[in-house]
Amino acid sequence: MKNTNERPRVVDVNGLSKVYGSGAIAFEALKEVDFHADAGEFVMISGPSGSGKTTLLSILGCVLRPTAGHVIIFGHDVSTTRENELPSLRLSLIGFVFQGFNLIASLSASENIALVLRLRGWAPKEAQGEAAKLLAEVGIAEKADSLPRDLSGGQRQRVAIARALAGHPSLLLADEPTANLDGQTGLQVTELLKDLARIHGSTVVVVTHDPRIHNLADRIVHLEDGQIRKESL
Amino acid sequence: MKNQRLSNAAGATDALAMHRPARIVRLRTMLHVGIKMMFHDKLKFAGTLFGVFFAVVLANQQLGVFLGLLSKNTMFIDNAGADLWIVPASTQTLQPGKPVAMTALYEARTTPGVAWAEPLLFGGGSVSLPSGGSEQVTIVGTKAPYWHGGPWNIVAGSVDVLRNPDVMIFEDSERDKLGGLNLGSVREVNGYRTIVGGFTWGLLPFAPSYSFAEYDYARVLLGTPSDQTSFVLVGVAPGNKPDSVAAAIQARTPDYLVLSTHEFHNRVLRYLLVSTGIGATTAMSTAFGLIVGLVIVSLSMFSAVVDNIREFGTLKAIGCRNGDLALLLLVQSTFYGLLGSLIGLTQISGIAGFMRSPKLALVLPWQTYASTPLVMVILCGLASLLALSRIRKLEPGMVFR
Repeated sequence: MKNTNERPRVVDVNGLSKVYGSGAIAFEALKEVDFHADAGEFVMISGPSGSGKTTLLSILGCVLRPTAGHVIIFGHDVSTTRENELPSLRLSLIGFVFQGFNLIASLSASENIALVLRLRGWAPKEAQGEAAKLLAEVGIAEKADSLPRDLSGGQRQRVAIARALAGHPSLLLADEPTANLDGQTGLQVTELLKDLARIHGSTVVVVTHDPRIHNLADRIVHLEDGQIRKESL
Repeated sequence: MKNQRLSNAAGATDALAMHRPARIVRLRTMLHVGIKMMFHDKLKFAGTLFGVFFAVVLANQQLGVFLGLLSKNTMFIDNAGADLWIVPASTQTLQPGKPVAMTALYEARTTPGVAWAEPLLFGGGSVSLPSGGSEQVTIVGTKAPYWHGGPWNIVAGSVDVLRNPDVMIFEDSERDKLGGLNLGSVREVNGYRTIVGGFTWGLLPFAPSYSFAEYDYARVLLGTPSDQTSFVLVGVAPGNKPDSVAAAIQARTPDYLVLSTHEFHNRVLRYLLVSTGIGATTAMSTAFGLIVGLVIVSLSMFSAVVDNIREFGTLKAIGCRNGDLALLLLVQSTFYGLLGSLIGLTQISGIAGFMRSPKLALVLPWQTYASTPLVMVILCGLASLLALSRIRKLEPGMVFR
């Protein structure tokens, strides 16, 4: 699909459907959705609960298979990619920021970040150095050795953002990144995410129903009942 | 920045190939994460370790008692100092049975390659106690001056006291049982006044204790005719093959069995393991210990995975494969197996030392120490399969729910 503002198309979704269950209990979470994100874009997906936001994000993150349609990420049709290739695809291209932070409780802040780098093949020393750099970028360099339980919610989300940026993934997916944070912290964290994504050259797709951060988006896609109702700039 | 984005997009395919680190890197990463996760939940760590410890102690205790029992039944054969034994044809264990004619002794002594041959008497004895009643002993008669067949492990007196008339050497650990024996004590054995001339330590088979007498005195005590004996012990002259000498003696004494010490030892073991229920019983109780350990470790590891299911989901979402997580569990199970074995073996060694007595001894040969960690690592590996099956079924998409 050709894009209008001449930025390379990073995510291109066509006719995407997702049905959970079968028969009488089948539930269609997404109905022939078309969606795209261009390189460097900061896109938000909003909508009420049950609108299909998280399902769409899960499919974009290659952790859920679509029922129908095509999902092309950096030229890969991930809807047809073999299951055993998806972990490598996620590791090399996608960074995740989760609503509940999802840090590994037994690893320190820097170890959580270094883990991703180690999985990508970085040497331990280089991974630790890069983790320290990323922690400095998110403003909590002094918390490198702290365990997640010793961090505040905002600090945990900053570690999660640093982890998502580890290895400079081309696509960042964030699921309700402000849901567990107070208003001010949520705004700061989202601004940080946007700034760092711009610096690292990553495309960001954020699922949120927090209207306070909508003004940070380059584009907002509104989902309702599994369908895109409107897009706004 | 635009160029960087373009290169990000264009290089995506190559990135797939690039970010498949070598197994050793993944192993080191999973080693690090696995160990950290393991120590993080200290209670679960202790519970799992206890499972391994319990299995090691229980299984080795059962095995040690069993080996101790076997050793009690073969210790005489192993310590008699003979290369060959001439035994009645129906012999299965070292117990007095059908006698061997003294002609077998003379045949052996005249067989080429034989350095020496001596008779050995075995029989039941009854020691009358000062307080009334009696206790059973196994009377062993060996020939002066070489005393092939014992006694050994003498802790009081010396073997030469047996040259004196009416003297016997008894088992030290049975002194109280035999009415408070001391050197010089007098007891009636099979109706004959007998003087205590010394004590051995640990010569307590799974039967009445060995009590040694000079051959001729033992013959009197047991009422054995002079042309009969219980067994014949044979020493092979240097430069001769025991098998060839055994075959030569066997040809001369077709009514008896001629066995090497090794063959006799194995014959007794085979009988105990196969013909009695002791082998199966011990195998069952040892297996029971291992199964209990397996269940504890298995449930602990499974519960650790269930408790941390979101973390495993996160690991999958960020790019860990099932193989990586299997590696993580393998690291943990190996660690549990090795550490649990170390603690368990230390404990069972202490127990063995504490229990060391002629009556009940845990026999733990080096093979037990060497094989226990290996068995426990395999056991823990098997135990982790349940946890692995949970992880394999785990959808990485759960992290978004």
